[in-house]
Amino acid sequence: MSKNFMIRKVAVLGAGVMGARIAAHMVNASVETLLFDLPDGEGDPNGKVVRALEGLKKAEPGPLSSPGRLGSIQPANYGQHLERLRECDLVIEAIAERMDWKTDLYRTVIPWLGEECIFASNTSGLSINGLAQTFPENLRQRFCGIHFFNPPRYMHLVELIPCTETLPERMDHLEEFLVSTLGKGVVRARDTPGFIANRIGMFSLLSTLHHAQRMALDFDTVDALTGSDLGRPKSATFRTLDVVGLDVFASVADTMRMHLPDDPWHSCFDVPDWLGRLVKEGALGQKTGRGVYQKLGNQIHVFDPGLQNYRLSEGKVDAALKETLRQRDWAKKMEALRSDQGTQAQFLWAVFRDLFHYCAVHMEEIADSARDLDFAMRWGFGWSHGPLEIWQAAGWQKIAGWLNEDISAGKTLSPAPLPGWVTDPARRGVHEVQGSYSAGSNRYQPRSTLSVYRRQLFPDRLLGEAEEYGETIFDTSAARMWHNGQDIAVLSFKTKMHTISSELLDDMLRALDEAEENWRALIIWQADRPFSAGADLLQLMQGVQTAGDQPAEGFAGRFKGALQRVKYTVAGGGGLGEIVNAAVGNVLRVEDVIARFQQVSQRLKYAQIPTVAAIDGLVLGGGCELSIHCTRIVATMESYIGLVETGVGLLPSGGGCKEMAQRAAAEARGGDIFPHLRRYFQNIAMGEVSRSAELAREMGYLRASDRIVMNRFELLHVAIQEAMALAATAYRPPLVPRQIPVAGRGGIASLKAAMVNMLQGGFISEHDYAVGCRVAEVMCGGDVDTGSQVDEQWLLDLERRNFLDLLAMSKTQERIEYMLRNSKPLRN
Amino acid sequence: MSRRIQEAYIVAASRTPVGKAPRGMFRNTRPDDLLAHVLKQVMGQCPSLDPAAVGDVIAGCAMPEAEQGMNVARIALLLAGLPDTVPGMTVNRFCSSGLQAVAIAADRIRLGEADVMIASGTESMSKVPMTGNKIAFNPEIFARDENIAIAYGMGLTAEKVAERWQISREVQDTFACESHRRALVALANGEFMEEIAPYSVENREPDLITRKTEVRARMAMQDEGPRADTSMEALARLKAVFARNGTVTAGNSSQMSDGAGAVLLASETALKRYNLTPLGKFLGYAVAGVPPEIMGIGPKEAIPRALRQAGLQLEDIGWIELNEAFAAQTLAVMQELDMNPARVNPLGGAIALGHPLGATGAIRTATLLHGMRRHKKKFGMVTMCIGTGMGAAGIFEAC
Repeated sequence: MSKNFMIRKVAVLGAGVMGARIAAHMVNASVETLLFDLPDGEGDPNGKVVRALEGLKKAEPGPLSSPGRLGSIQPANYGQHLERLRECDLVIEAIAERMDWKTDLYRTVIPWLGEECIFASNTSGLSINGLAQTFPENLRQRFCGIHFFNPPRYMHLVELIPCTETLPERMDHLEEFLVSTLGKGVVRARDTPGFIANRIGMFSLLSTLHHAQRMALDFDTVDALTGSDLGRPKSATFRTLDVVGLDVFASVADTMRMHLPDDPWHSCFDVPDWLGRLVKEGALGQKTGRGVYQKLGNQIHVFDPGLQNYRLSEGKVDAALKETLRQRDWAKKMEALRSDQGTQAQFLWAVFRDLFHYCAVHMEEIADSARDLDFAMRWGFGWSHGPLEIWQAAGWQKIAGWLNEDISAGKTLSPAPLPGWVTDPARRGVHEVQGSYSAGSNRYQPRSTLSVYRRQLFPDRLLGEAEEYGETIFDTSAARMWHNGQDIAVLSFKTKMHTISSELLDDMLRALDEAEENWRALIIWQADRPFSAGADLLQLMQGVQTAGDQPAEGFAGRFKGALQRVKYTVAGGGGLGEIVNAAVGNVLRVEDVIARFQQVSQRLKYAQIPTVAAIDGLVLGGGCELSIHCTRIVATMESYIGLVETGVGLLPSGGGCKEMAQRAAAEARGGDIFPHLRRYFQNIAMGEVSRSAELAREMGYLRASDRIVMNRFELLHVAIQEAMALAATAYRPPLVPRQIPVAGRGGIASLKAAMVNMLQGGFISEHDYAVGCRVAEVMCGGDVDTGSQVDEQWLLDLERRNFLDLLAMSKTQERIEYMLRNSKPLRN
Repeated sequence: MSRRIQEAYIVAASRTPVGKAPRGMFRNTRPDDLLAHVLKQVMGQCPSLDPAAVGDVIAGCAMPEAEQGMNVARIALLLAGLPDTVPGMTVNRFCSSGLQAVAIAADRIRLGEADVMIASGTESMSKVPMTGNKIAFNPEIFARDENIAIAYGMGLTAEKVAERWQISREVQDTFACESHRRALVALANGEFMEEIAPYSVENREPDLITRKTEVRARMAMQDEGPRADTSMEALARLKAVFARNGTVTAGNSSQMSDGAGAVLLASETALKRYNLTPLGKFLGYAVAGVPPEIMGIGPKEAIPRALRQAGLQLEDIGWIELNEAFAAQTLAVMQELDMNPARVNPLGGAIALGHPLGATGAIRTATLLHGMRRHKKKFGMVTMCIGTGMGAAGIFEAC
């Protein structure tokens, strides 16, 4: 074997939903991929695959990082293209869960596999060792299970399951590929039914169904209880079943019941009668338009097993319980749930209790450590926390005691006793500084030492693990500047949703001064998502002090009136919250904040040291403006980038309009600016947000020189490498352009022409038009001759003036107010 | 009635089949080549005519730039092999450009300053999009509210007409359906055989498997637009594209198209000198302006003027080629002038047959003249609405 392990090309066998989506994610990661299926009897022999690829275009959320990637998945069929398997370093089988079909296929492809090729099955239910029996021994060393979760682009987890003969270094290589190239979170699992995530996750769903039925709780109520308030996906329980497909869910449960005859919770894997009945009726969930839920007109109806029919969905949480659900402290939350005698609280306690019970009894058998179990649930089921870390946070001994009480009282779903390690009186939890507890070895297992994890400077953190990020350079209420022992400085925001406040702007100026004096580069990186959620205003509501006794006159007075009715403000992107606050004081202060924002943007662009924005998640409004001014952007694929200020009747005024106008001028290379400018104008005027970093590149927010990384835990590593490379090659900031050609009044007219048609056609409102005209004016350089040459300050002044004009408009104020009140944009 | 010193006769009329734009059979065919083809065709139909006798070649084109820029008339006539002593000019009045070319050509003859003229039109909407390759509106348009409709897209003006004349979605779709039905019947009956000059399309595509340039030639024989699978249900499924709650859809609007057409006109003297047989006689032409936001109603103003010039009543006109820019405006014009629907576009209209903007006037003149002769109609008319608010109408008499 060569020193470098490379997966140059991948084949995916089976163009079903999972196969096609795995292939999509491979090409997202720029891995050449062949997608195989059976040859079609008539027409194009690749027909099945071609149809599956068509399906990828329509799937929501999109499996592809950009529609353009579709062409990189090469359709193939077993009839014609088997010899092409020889080109592949990794072959993933993703056909239906039938042992006989799978073994038949394996026999067909075995002669065509390359000598170093890894062969892996995406099975979720069959035994890996059982499947391995099909292979000759030398191939078994290169065979394993590779269990992706749906949708594979978005679900972080991949379970890797070796068979008894799999060579460990193969597994290590595969893990490195999955983690770094595909950006996945790998958990090594054992060859037990359902592996880790589905075993626990299916049990959790089924026990929730069981308790709901026992306590006669409506399905919509259960969903209201078991969703985001528990740190789980909004789809909660029953809506998740609809998404998964009731038939798929039932068949997975059946398979598990079949393979788990000795599980003390064996009977829990029985699917409830009502579910079987819905499946029989063809009500399979989202894919058939009807399942547990059904949309009738604009109303959502939910299946009621009592009525044996659908009724309007309401899903009400007891008023008294709401406080408990909002509680972020797990100890207090569990305490409250257990002591509350209300049905809903008792239901939630029972759900948690049996989940803890099940994990405790099975951890030794299914997982190498508690960390694997917790990460499997977080990454595979989208839970914010795994069951064992919650247990630990809630107080290990207290929960264990309650569990024992309930087991003795016969309340639990199974009478199985807790294992000894659980009730060890010295136990404080399963995650400690030295590692996570392994019940098998009765030791604390440190994190993997595989070289790929050296790229994760700060891997996903478990509840209670210390947040320690390097040595502090300075630390304020808004931001912290720090370093990691190298000569690169990092600035991390501390504001809510990492929004940009006046204090943060000051901190950024300070950080730039400090970096220019003492560091070789400055990176902006956040320990958690998002990078900066400017326009996600709904999540950003904050209490605000009322204005006190400012003179109510002029613009400030008008604006204050609106504010006082609202009683809230935002800390929006572009320092919107700050601006709103400042507006109450006086208009000069607003202008000052914007001027400072523009100063920060310009400093980021022209700093004497390279600046790198390491972005992930939402990068909106002001967050986007900061990023596009940095020397380099390093973005995770899941970066959602956009200048969205027009949604609240404003425009980007932190240099965003200026920067995009300047890019359009540069791209025109002396030719007509307008076609380049028009695209950027549309992005801003329509408030478009990219649905991947790849699309952000197509939109022009990422330049050719900006980098995309697949694994967000590698983001800082790559950003540091970029910063070091920039610094190492005698970095100089760009020369200040003093002659930027602009589209001028002709450009404004042509942009208006398009908007007039949208206005007259009723697609946009009068105020949308007014805001759009302002954006046009700024981006075209104002009412000057087409082709006039301006400098950056000219454009920045236009941004600032037009922003202030818009802020003074009552329609804009109504939009801001409405957003604050109703958490959604107002179309006025 | 207008005055003239001699009559202008149409002695040949031909057109290419009309392709769909931008992905149809002429997607890679140049509009100057299409034009040259029809010029050759009309000359070929008059073998006894001395080519040097052609006084001028006038070509209509609505977006005369890029592949159809640089005075496409002169370029095409040279490509067609006409002697370099024959001049050429391109005219633009948007959708009536082709008809305007016929009117100018006829007028040169009627004035006695020419005896043989060619009028034509060409447009590739595949190559040059509707608003041209460079959008550049005058800022003054937005300086005053009354000028703002200059910037309106054609679809939006159709919405305004539909609203003002209360033309419902259903009526528009019914009309569109009928346009396809008539066109399909006409195709089946070979109605377009005489007027169409089949065009040999040659495509050169790289074959990435054989690593060779694949030269594919095929004969374009007939119009690509008419759809047998159109139905009210299919049309009802289409979304209004120009207004949020609008009624104008891709299905009840004219198709974007590529094509060219030409007619050869001659004076009575020329008929005799070159032994030419006339298809018909040009009787008159008029244009008129209307507010730009309801440009589709233009024919309503132009038609009465043209009729007055020809000394005819609308009832006299047995065959009307009323360009279906949009079902909404066609229906509004028909309603305003109380037209007999049976006489309007008996072979289907632009909704089915396509509308290569500046070529349409010449193409439909060819359709009308051949059609009138076959179906024994005495008087016929070609009329259309024109962007930024105009209408044009030309009247012909069969010989």
